[in-house]
Amino acid sequence: MDFSKTKVLKIAVVVLRVILGGLFAYAGYLKLAQPWQLFAANIAEYQVVPMWAASFIARTLPWFEILLGVMVIVGRWTRTSTVMLSGILLVFFSLMVRAKLQGKEIDCGCFGSGDPISWKTLLRDGSMLAGALFITVMAFRNRRTTA
Amino acid sequence: MPNCKSKRTIDFMKLLALAVAALIPCIAASPDVDKNKTMGNPNAPLMFELYSDFMCPHCKVMHETILPSIVQDYVKSGKAYLIFREFPLQIPQHVYSRAAAALAVAAGRIGKYQAVNDALFKTQTSWGATGKLWEAVAPVLTPDEQKKVQALANDPSVLAEVQVDVDRGMKAQVNETPTLMITYKMKQQPWAKWADYSFFKSYVDGLLKN
Repeated sequence: MDFSKTKVLKIAVVVLRVILGGLFAYAGYLKLAQPWQLFAANIAEYQVVPMWAASFIARTLPWFEILLGVMVIVGRWTRTSTVMLSGILLVFFSLMVRAKLQGKEIDCGCFGSGDPISWKTLLRDGSMLAGALFITVMAFRNRRTTA
Repeated sequence: MPNCKSKRTIDFMKLLALAVAALIPCIAASPDVDKNKTMGNPNAPLMFELYSDFMCPHCKVMHETILPSIVQDYVKSGKAYLIFREFPLQIPQHVYSRAAAALAVAAGRIGKYQAVNDALFKTQTSWGATGKLWEAVAPVLTPDEQKKVQALANDPSVLAEVQVDVDRGMKAQVNETPTLMITYKMKQQPWAKWADYSFFKSYVDGLLKN
């Protein structure tokens, strides 16, 4: 069996895409399973957007997460979907770090309610961000290689 | 052989037994609570169970700023039945939480739950630092009531009542305070996000429209 570096990287990218895409779609599903107002109240706790924006995000973000998760898993528009995944995870992670540094005792809101921001949640989301950045870089590298 | 009258009596008894059997789950499902720890109409369409810890600063904010709106909008209007539940958190910083809960429950036994509840939250900062709970509670009770509450606070049935609330909360997966458990048409939804009352109101009003 040929276990060249390229092949191992390709397998790693597919595995990461399935894991990250699956987690994203699952996070969206969990948010849809609870009242949107609860997620909106969770967003409001971060104190970064006005109430109307919290309502809008709470109603739309879960659907977007599911769509993005599916796109990442199936490998459709890989560069666009991985950039979006990295971007959104970067925003989430930054907001969580900011809340932690400000000493806010609030829920992360990542996988529904009852998930307070802690070093554990920061490590989890930080790992997801690292994975997303890796598959984004690989998506662009593959493009350059094939071109 | 039973005659017609006794057969009717037996049929009636059978029907009665069936009715009682059908009612048993309803009786079991109804909240076991001291009436002094409740507000509003027990037959209201909504049931709110407020799980609080007397040492929790967020519970103080909830009690003093958000709860009055909830009472005004839903309890006084007959839309919701409110039950106060004790949920002393088992964390080192909340060393007096369980004793405070026991005092409130003891006061409830003599019809003074709300007065003691208000007093404990109002003076949370001072007794939270010193542990002098009685200094917070005594001023809202008469000397006679003080004696009764002091005696009741260490009563095993009062301590058990606190534990019943804690167990109930744990079973309902309450993991933070303050949490308001909203029950509507047998469906439960915990609510612990109080940054903006309007989202809670929007959710509850939406439930009532269904």
